[in-house]
Amino acid sequence: MMGIFKLFGLGFQTVNKKIKIAVYLWVVNLLFSLVVIAPLYFLLQSEFSRSLLENQIAKGNDFLIWMGDFIFKNRDFYPALLGWILVPLLLYLFFNIFLSGGVIGRIASRDEKTSLSNFLSDCGKYFYRFFRVFLISLIGFIVFFGVIYKLISALLEIWTENASTEWPLIFVSNLKFLIAVLLFSIARMFFDYVKIRLVVEDSKKAVRSTLLNFAFLGKKFFRAWSLYLLVGLVVVILFIIFILVHRISPQNGIFFIFLFLWQQLYVFSRMWTKMLFFSTEYHFAALNPNH
Amino acid sequence: MNLNKKLQILFSFFLLLALSVRPSIALQERTRRIKYEIWVELDGQNKMLHGREKIIWTNQTQDTVQDMWFHLYYNAFKNEKSTMLQESKEESFGPLGMKVEDGEWGWIDIVSIKLADGRSLQSTIEFMWQDEPVHPGDQTVMRVLFPEPIMPGEDVQLEIDFQSKIPRGLQRTGYYKDSYFIAQWFPKPGVYEEGKGWNCHEYHLSSEFYADFADYTVHITVPDDFIVGASGNQIRATANEPEERVTYTFSQASIHDFAWTADPNFLKIERDFIADEEVSAEEYDEVSRRLWIPVEDVKLNDVKMILLIRKEHKKQINRHFQALKAAIKYYGLWYGPYPYETVTMVDPPFRTGSGGMEYPTLFTAGTSILRSKDVHSPEGVIIHEFGHGYWYGLCANNEFEEAWLDEGINTYSTGKVLAQAYGPGAFPVSFNRIPLNRFIEMPTYTDYELDRALGIHVVELDPITTYSWKFFNRGSYGLNVYFRASTCLNTLERLVGQDTMIKILREFQTRFRFKHPHTQDFIDVVNEISGRDLTWFFEELFFSTLNLDYGVSFLDSREKEEVVRGIFDKNGTKEELTSKKVENLRRGRKENNTQNIYITDVVARRFGEARLGGDVTLKLKIVFKDGSEEVRLWRGRERWKKFRFEGTSKVAYAQIDPEDIWLIDSNRANNSLRRNPSRSGIWKVTSQFFFFVQNFLQLVSGLS
Repeated sequence: MMGIFKLFGLGFQTVNKKIKIAVYLWVVNLLFSLVVIAPLYFLLQSEFSRSLLENQIAKGNDFLIWMGDFIFKNRDFYPALLGWILVPLLLYLFFNIFLSGGVIGRIASRDEKTSLSNFLSDCGKYFYRFFRVFLISLIGFIVFFGVIYKLISALLEIWTENASTEWPLIFVSNLKFLIAVLLFSIARMFFDYVKIRLVVEDSKKAVRSTLLNFAFLGKKFFRAWSLYLLVGLVVVILFIIFILVHRISPQNGIFFIFLFLWQQLYVFSRMWTKMLFFSTEYHFAALNPNH
Repeated sequence: MNLNKKLQILFSFFLLLALSVRPSIALQERTRRIKYEIWVELDGQNKMLHGREKIIWTNQTQDTVQDMWFHLYYNAFKNEKSTMLQESKEESFGPLGMKVEDGEWGWIDIVSIKLADGRSLQSTIEFMWQDEPVHPGDQTVMRVLFPEPIMPGEDVQLEIDFQSKIPRGLQRTGYYKDSYFIAQWFPKPGVYEEGKGWNCHEYHLSSEFYADFADYTVHITVPDDFIVGASGNQIRATANEPEERVTYTFSQASIHDFAWTADPNFLKIERDFIADEEVSAEEYDEVSRRLWIPVEDVKLNDVKMILLIRKEHKKQINRHFQALKAAIKYYGLWYGPYPYETVTMVDPPFRTGSGGMEYPTLFTAGTSILRSKDVHSPEGVIIHEFGHGYWYGLCANNEFEEAWLDEGINTYSTGKVLAQAYGPGAFPVSFNRIPLNRFIEMPTYTDYELDRALGIHVVELDPITTYSWKFFNRGSYGLNVYFRASTCLNTLERLVGQDTMIKILREFQTRFRFKHPHTQDFIDVVNEISGRDLTWFFEELFFSTLNLDYGVSFLDSREKEEVVRGIFDKNGTKEELTSKKVENLRRGRKENNTQNIYITDVVARRFGEARLGGDVTLKLKIVFKDGSEEVRLWRGRERWKKFRFEGTSKVAYAQIDPEDIWLIDSNRANNSLRRNPSRSGIWKVTSQFFFFVQNFLQLVSGLS
């Protein structure tokens, strides 16, 4: 069996050959975010553009003064805030289900070249299947977090209930977070492989693929998970690099533009790592004879 | 002047002197009308306190007193019919965490109550309810009747045996395993007010305490491995070796409450605040000069500082003492020397719910194992709780009825001391109790900015001076009495000047020590020291729910038309200037480079309902593009006022209140208006939010 590092390498190469997909994903993220943020921009403009306080905002001063004013003045807007955030959030979620079809479809395709039209074609082709996988995955998440995680939490709470100092609380809250992340990674990985199976086999049977996936991952769980966590490590490393550069960068004047570009590069890297997850999983699945 | 006249004058002088001296001596005596001696034993197994209390109460009024009312605060934790627990259920401001689990209740019982001659008052006990709405199940206020009334000037001595069941750590008092913080634990008389009777409120969710000044001697018996801290000085520790217990005796005069703590896990560290080491001669001179008082009156006392800290926090010992030293120093220099010999600072025992609270000569702070150095914690809470000793502790206003006189003044003064000693602090950011300030740069702020950001939100709910339990909800109580009050005081400081504000608070502190002042007393001191009638300031901002918001609503410059159309009298005839003629004339002016004159109109507006009063005016500054400036003053009574200027330059911007005096103004953005908009700051903020939204969307998409 090919080592996970070699599989990682294969996935890495595939993603870089089809880097256009990451660009498409980034553009979609940008457009959705613009829709969310536009009202805020216009509100800020109407409040501050003709005020001297705007100078202080530009310098990063008086944060609490202008923020306090802004929140107070728009307090009647709060009930609408939920809708303002929730609607684009849900739309983005569903749109990502749509886009996942294109991502996996193009990764699995033998075509070297990627175009927008064949990407969208794959998006449309697999959307309904992936949507059903999404619904099944909700059940999966409920099981993982509503049952397994809660059980583990309850056991850990027994320990903190009788704590005499803060140390157990610090340790347990971080442990619970780690467990939540690991459980999430397992659930996420499981359903990624379901989608990949649907694409590789060109199957429309989401429930069947899900059930077959238990057998597949049952035999290869730790290798698959190790590969998944290796990509997860890349996510963490990229985040740390982003934070370190962000921290040492000046934030005013021309550097502000640099910072904005750096932030967008980071967002782009998140799309790239999303592809990397699918790509490595695809290669793992494709090279496994029992898949 | 003949001899008789001189003698008359001399006699009158001495008579006046005698009359003036006698009341002040009487006032000093009146400040302590109670003596307590309390014996209490901690029963750790059953979480009980077994107590015996001797009270000597002096009737220092002209009233004949028939009864005595007591606070039995621990009964607030007795059952869900108590006022406190009922109010916590009714509370509309978010989850409160005031649920008492089965088996964790607290209560206090009077086992016996007798006069010194042995006559029992037990049969006269009844529970009372002074406040609306009535909670008839509440047992936190008790009354007993005297067989004979207590005449003016007479004493009554009572001997009370009581038992208190300590609640599991809840509202400021309680236990967790072997750790105890004991507050409001003994039967405490209310305050008798001449002509009005007993002021003795139930224990409300949103209120603190009110009691008379007294001399306390308290004997606390605990297991011998416990470290004990309490109000006042420890004068004795008597070991009872066979029973492995120790009795600690604490004593303190002129305080109105007594709290204590016991925990075998404490580290006890004592250090001294040596005034001569902490304050330089130059600092004394500076304060003396600023406040116009002799240097001798500014000098501080040495104070013994006692810290009881949990072992896992021992790396923060120095941080605790540094903050306490700063508090003793600056509160002392500005508001008067700390008058007691000791101050005990307690890192509250784990899970006893007792952090961030003040008691006379003792206070609790609170910290956690992992703390960032950039964040003012625990420094902020140490300075704040020590500061309470000046307002709540020494002046002792009625915290049920006028909470802001302590909380608001202390929030204001905490901000001043913090700013002086430490400068701005960073917003804390942590993840799963791990501070992240080292990795994520957070904005810094000074306390007054945070106070304002919080305080402006509740202006339309309740006046600051509302009775504590009558606020709309706990949020309105907290935001009003702490932050809005502090912001108003910061505004007052900007209005009268920093030095005058220090003088006001120093005068209020020293004049009303031990005297339970009211809001009107504070207003009177403000007026007296500032030399201005600022009563309107309190009427508009403390007693009302009026929002203060002044701004600039209109700004424009247009060219003055020197040549206009129409019929004009010229040399006895009528000449018509037509459109074409006017156009030609204007062109000619331009070709001759005749300077344009601009008319600039600025409209200042009062958007809010609160109005300035007295002699106060608002400054309006207008700046033109050529750099020239004009200043106008406006009294701000009307809804708007227009100002017109003529000049050779267009306007750049107009700004009302350019010196930022009116911090309480709820909309600082509209205080200025510029002709040409600017967006660089808006782009910056929007892009930061944009990035956050991008990441948030991507995070949620992980579900897909």
